[in-house]
Amino acid sequence: MNTKNNNIRFSNRSSMVLFFMKGSIFLFVMGIICSLAVAFLDMINPKIIQYTVDYLIGDTASKMPFYMEFIVSHTGGKEYLRGHLFVIAAVVIAIALICALFRYLNKLFNSMASEKLIKRMRDTLFEHILKLPFSWHGEHHTGDIIQRCTSDVETIKVFLSEQLTSLFRIAIMIVLGMYFMFQIHTGLTLISAAFIPVLVLYSLFFHNKIGESFRHADEEEGKLSAIAQENLTGVRVVRAFGRESYERSRFESKNKDYTRMWIHLMMLLSAFWTSNDFISSMQGMLVVIFGSVFCVRGELTVGELIAFVSYNAMISWPVRMLGRVISEMSKAGVSVDRLREIMNSEPEKDIENPKCPDLKSDITFSNVSFSYEEDASLILKDVSFKIKAGSTLGILGGTGSGKSTLMYLLDRLYELPDEAGSIKIGDVDIKEIDRFYLRRNIGLVLQEPFLFSRTLSENIGIAGKDPEMKDIRRAAKMASLDDTISSFDAGYETFVGERGVTLSGGQKQRTAIAQMLVSDPPIMIFDDSLSAVDTETDAKIRAELNKHAGDSTTIIISHRITTLMRADNIIVLSHGKVVESGTHAELLEKNGLYRKIYDIQVQGGEEE
Amino acid sequence: MSINDSNNKQTKLPFLGIPKLLPFVRPYRKQIITMMILGAMVSMIDSFVPLFNRYAINNFIAKGTTKGMHIFALVYALTLLAKLIMDFTSAYLVGKTEMSVDKDLRNASFNHLQELSFSYFNQNNVGYIHARVMSDTGKIGMMFSWRMMDIIWNGSYIIFVFAVMMAINIRLALYMLMLVPIAAFLVMYFQKHLIVLNRHIRELNSKITGNFNEGITGAKAIKTLVVEGKITSDFEEDTENYRKNAVNATHFSALFTSSVTMLSSCALALILWRGGKITMDGVIEIGTLSVFLSYALGILEPIQNIVVTISDLIAIQVNIERFIRLMETTSDVADSVEVIEKYGGTFDPKKENWEKLIGDVEFKDVSFHYPDGTEYVLEHFNLKVPQGTNVAIVGETGAGKSTLVNLVCRFYEPTSGQVLIDGKDARERSQLWLHSNIGYVLQTPHLFSGSVRDNLKYGNPDATDEQIMDALKLVSADGIIEKMPDGLDSDVGEGGDALSTGEKQLLSFARAILADPRILVLDEATSSIDTVTEKAIQDAISVVIKGRTSFMIAHRLSTVVDADMILVVKDGKIIERGTHKELMKNKKGYYHQLFSRQFEEMSLNEASNF
Repeated sequence: MNTKNNNIRFSNRSSMVLFFMKGSIFLFVMGIICSLAVAFLDMINPKIIQYTVDYLIGDTASKMPFYMEFIVSHTGGKEYLRGHLFVIAAVVIAIALICALFRYLNKLFNSMASEKLIKRMRDTLFEHILKLPFSWHGEHHTGDIIQRCTSDVETIKVFLSEQLTSLFRIAIMIVLGMYFMFQIHTGLTLISAAFIPVLVLYSLFFHNKIGESFRHADEEEGKLSAIAQENLTGVRVVRAFGRESYERSRFESKNKDYTRMWIHLMMLLSAFWTSNDFISSMQGMLVVIFGSVFCVRGELTVGELIAFVSYNAMISWPVRMLGRVISEMSKAGVSVDRLREIMNSEPEKDIENPKCPDLKSDITFSNVSFSYEEDASLILKDVSFKIKAGSTLGILGGTGSGKSTLMYLLDRLYELPDEAGSIKIGDVDIKEIDRFYLRRNIGLVLQEPFLFSRTLSENIGIAGKDPEMKDIRRAAKMASLDDTISSFDAGYETFVGERGVTLSGGQKQRTAIAQMLVSDPPIMIFDDSLSAVDTETDAKIRAELNKHAGDSTTIIISHRITTLMRADNIIVLSHGKVVESGTHAELLEKNGLYRKIYDIQVQGGEEE
Repeated sequence: MSINDSNNKQTKLPFLGIPKLLPFVRPYRKQIITMMILGAMVSMIDSFVPLFNRYAINNFIAKGTTKGMHIFALVYALTLLAKLIMDFTSAYLVGKTEMSVDKDLRNASFNHLQELSFSYFNQNNVGYIHARVMSDTGKIGMMFSWRMMDIIWNGSYIIFVFAVMMAINIRLALYMLMLVPIAAFLVMYFQKHLIVLNRHIRELNSKITGNFNEGITGAKAIKTLVVEGKITSDFEEDTENYRKNAVNATHFSALFTSSVTMLSSCALALILWRGGKITMDGVIEIGTLSVFLSYALGILEPIQNIVVTISDLIAIQVNIERFIRLMETTSDVADSVEVIEKYGGTFDPKKENWEKLIGDVEFKDVSFHYPDGTEYVLEHFNLKVPQGTNVAIVGETGAGKSTLVNLVCRFYEPTSGQVLIDGKDARERSQLWLHSNIGYVLQTPHLFSGSVRDNLKYGNPDATDEQIMDALKLVSADGIIEKMPDGLDSDVGEGGDALSTGEKQLLSFARAILADPRILVLDEATSSIDTVTEKAIQDAISVVIKGRTSFMIAHRLSTVVDADMILVVKDGKIIERGTHKELMKNKKGYYHQLFSRQFEEMSLNEASNF
């Protein structure tokens, strides 16, 4: 993981698209070649019909292209064929078979390419997102990022695998079709070709216009959907205020607007489809009428006219699609930019040749000041303290006092800026330590635990190096979780999250503790990790930890004095400053803030 | 989840459930019949177009003359024009029908939901219900419009083509007819497999979306645990699995399209061979052969379309069933016929007959269990709450504190016993009467998108701006409005997103005050908010509850301490009751324990603020 160079930067759209297409571009080309073959083979059928009608059924001598002469001479010659028309049928089927093979290969190559592409896009994005610093995660909305990773990825895939390739296919069909038509009759081809720019531009114009209306309709749908959503989530408010009629009229009026808008849109769409169809049919009509005139004049044979009509029909659909494809392709650019923004965000970095020192050393915070955003008020102000290796530090602080921030800095979730103090383990500044090594050796139990949608045993063992079941159970026992888990039907194989049980806040916290204990780290941090656990279990877990902690350095953050009082050293944090420190006894002596809180918590509660 | 699944259980409705939907279609029957007739005529013209070619070949080219060409061109053009008009009209009507039926179905389901009882909302999550209103209705609307027309368009095209072929040459027509069952079978076979494969792919896809969600929301945990490598490799396993399945499905769909076009070439070959033979023999003319050749190439697509449409129709059955089941769900809590007669229904209240509500509440020998459970959470429960009493209900999250409130609000009715409002059983008056006299302030304040004014007037549509400002001042929320760009007209965003949680809470207090309810229900927030807002909210609470009967699901110490009566709930049952002083006397008691735990945190925040 660390060895790969991850400084991916894309200065323009195409460089990123090409990066994503690595490994799939060859397959895309193969797919396009096959579609070329399909288009060419499709174009042979009208020629065969033409030949059969003119040469075999009728008796006109029409000039044959080389491949027709090839087919005729290898199937027994003209006279033989006249008596054995099924040979022609067999040729048609043979060509159809080859064509079907190419059609199949075209689809398969294209799918292999696009699936490879989408896999690469997803994998790259996912890996990159996990490498981005935590501050980046804080600045972005989850929904927005997921949207980019799903629908924007899909848009780019559709662009490359469907729109771009169909653009190739359409171009090939039109060029080949026109070529064959020109061979038959120049004048008739010009009549037919005159319609092509009309159809393409009409469709392009319409799709660009209608795009706006579609966006508008989508927004309206969003609003209607939101009304329903709000009504359902707020069902208590609606009922308690007795506002059902109001809700009804609100929904019905929005529903009416939305419906009216769509009916209008439907009218535009119907008008476009049918008029487009009409123009196409007019083209077909003119080809038949002028074709007949040319036939009567002897410029064209019947077979040639039939073939021409076929070619004309064959390119009519691609021509009608062209405008639409072009207008939809423009949407992909926006998606590429949205992904580029993610990919161009800078991942977390270590210095070159980071160190991996022994972490069973003293931890020193010297003059640490920190704020999450530039120019914002400081969360930590000139904080200094030392934790002796193997000792236990208690941190007492209220909401917003900066106690969690201290730990995020120690774990390098946020980087301490230069000249804002330093954090050292032993003699080494943590900025010089390999961040994975650092985090692996610091077991940080978060205030709000996060469980993965996996089984309980997988959750507990996730950070360990192939932990065995007995390690997992040992950790669960230490976190007073074993009994709870055993009471579930599936025990340790119980699924957590949407697909399984919902754990209570206390159970989640205990799972997170067990998760940390499995890897037995030299530094353990409990960030208010027992807040949702009742006092009794809290005491039990702490006793277990004391027994097993060994020479680990432990930091306990809490608002509960009883949780902290046995620590070797306690610091009291208030509004980003260390206001007191010492052992429990020393702090009580001082008669300061700690004493005051102690009095309220331990005695005050009972006096009431 | 499990409840939704059991709802999905198929109870087969006769005729796909369509008879039950007829009332929704009936208002549009004229336009539906018109669009069907026009659609069939469009298909007829489509199937006749090759006949123009035939006429041109047989009458102009074969005879070497252009006589009558003008009339031919005119008729041809007029036919196309007629088709344009009919095509446009029918397509427009189809779209209009779709949207209109959609609209009616959405209204019907939405309005029905307004009258359903809370047990329905508890048993089905919002996403599930929302999909019934917004997506099932769309699918059903689609069925009565586009899907139905697909069958008309393609079906009549096939019929007309065969009719023309039969009229021209029976033998060739029969050759073509042979291909129909083969094509239909082929399409059905592939369609069946593709549906299964695609469903699997969709599932894998949503799993990947879930993975993204987990990777992003769990970023902090992933980083602190240093499990990036493991999570990434598991993710790559999922995307690889998706890729394999997607390519596998393409084998099928590619084979599908290839065989259908292959079959179409077979039709062409057949006509060339047999048709060519009889043309040489002079049985038919070349123009006629060209008609058959066009048909051979054009008949496969409509057959394919029809089969695909039919399998779509079968898939829609699930949506129909879910929709009908929603419409047939009845409310557990319903007003009796006599009550509706006197007090009016949900949408047509008879306010002139409403009595004034004073605010005495009494639970009389109430036993209760939730409709989806069997365990009694209240047994022979008695409690008198005289007008103006302030009741606090405390207990851990998820302990069942809402039960009493649900009964007072008549969101649920007692399994046995009575809830008396002003001495009369709650069931003797209408729900709307009771609800119009109740104010409700939620744990997670719920605002509706719209202006601040709309939201504040929610409980009292007739409130004047003056009254609104007074209410805002009372809860010290006037500062929020001054800060907003358009004052009372400012938009609060979807679900009130433009405001902070604390601001939303204060506004919802003001909303409750404006409604001037006799009974007030407060569901306090557990989320931590800054100290200043916290103070403002506490002050607001004491203003709001003054002189009103109130039930408070409480988390804050101050409100609990001052309450006239505290009910302590554990595992769904009320285990202790009394005033704060009385309850604190029992040091082993559950209340004592709960109180101490909260006290620690409160004391710390208070002390460090000095």
